Amino acid sequence: MIGIDIKIKRGSGELAILALLDQEPLHGYEISKRIAQVTGGVLQFNLASLYPLLYRMEKRGWVRGKWEETKNGRKRRCYHLTRNGKKQLAPLREEWGMFFQALHRIAGVAHAG
Amino acid sequence: MPDNQGLIRERLGKLWLETRREEEILLELADHLDDHAAALEARGVARDAAAREALDSVSNWPEFREEILAAETEEAIMNYRTKALWLPALCALTLSNGCLALMQIFGVPAHFYWFGIGKDVQALCEFIVPWIISQPVVGAVAAYWSRRAGGTVRYQLLAALAPAIALLGLFLLILPWAMIVDKNVAHHVKLGAFLILTVTWVLLPSVPLLIGAAPFLRKPHAQA
Repeated sequence: MIGIDIKIKRGSGELAILALLDQEPLHGYEISKRIAQVTGGVLQFNLASLYPLLYRMEKRGWVRGKWEETKNGRKRRCYHLTRNGKKQLAPLREEWGMFFQALHRIAGVAHAG
Repeated sequence: MPDNQGLIRERLGKLWLETRREEEILLELADHLDDHAAALEARGVARDAAAREALDSVSNWPEFREEILAAETEEAIMNYRTKALWLPALCALTLSNGCLALMQIFGVPAHFYWFGIGKDVQALCEFIVPWIISQPVVGAVAAYWSRRAGGTVRYQLLAALAPAIALLGLFLLILPWAMIVDKNVAHHVKLGAFLILTVTWVLLPSVPLLIGAAPFLRKPHAQA
């Protein structure tokens, strides 16, 4: 697994969470599981790294947590993307795209885009 | 299934958030740990080991706590620092100086010693033994208060040592001032006096302050 600096991880985490929630509302554990799955374990969020990020995003009004009953009858706090969060997605995607392009130019780091 | 909510509460301690929000956070974090442990169990890890591994995924609970507080509100982190550091430190400072003032008002005898600090120069040192004896109580009160407010060991130590740290700060401010302004006394004498003042009013009281604080110094929510 690649070790990624916490600040980059936090910034990329915001984009990852917004992108996932753009598809469907998810609860915290499901978010961390999907991120690990989709990124092949390169990005991993545990309890301590995920929730402060989610709470910060909730304070900014990008996501909204709502207690909902899941299929198995358990009540879970599911996060929904807000209109404000949706607005953040495009600029964040662009910002990160530019970041990887810049890294690619300077250090030959290939970007996924 | 272990009581993850209780275990998290024990490790995070009081967050000083709105009660409903605090309960919501605990419940949500406990849900996450339950899921994590269940996923590990599904991979063949024994139930107890899975629960432990899920809980151990957080390596630094005090830091996690601060991250949550910082995320919740900037105000909350201020409140936390105020409650866990500044208030206990102020209490220690008031108690310590209050004791000293009372002892001087009631004429508690001080012990004086002369120390040589240069050629033909001596400095007078004042020791008020009952005041020094009273300092463990001050250290204990500050460390206990800080711990109860969820302070880290560093906060507990800083709060307990606040009276000594404040005096050290005062001496460090006075010394350069004396070096520059007062030209009638040689610099080595001023430095010698500064060292003796530091020993008698900072280092010496620090020992009983630490002795008093020691039984209460503990990680606020140390892992069992």
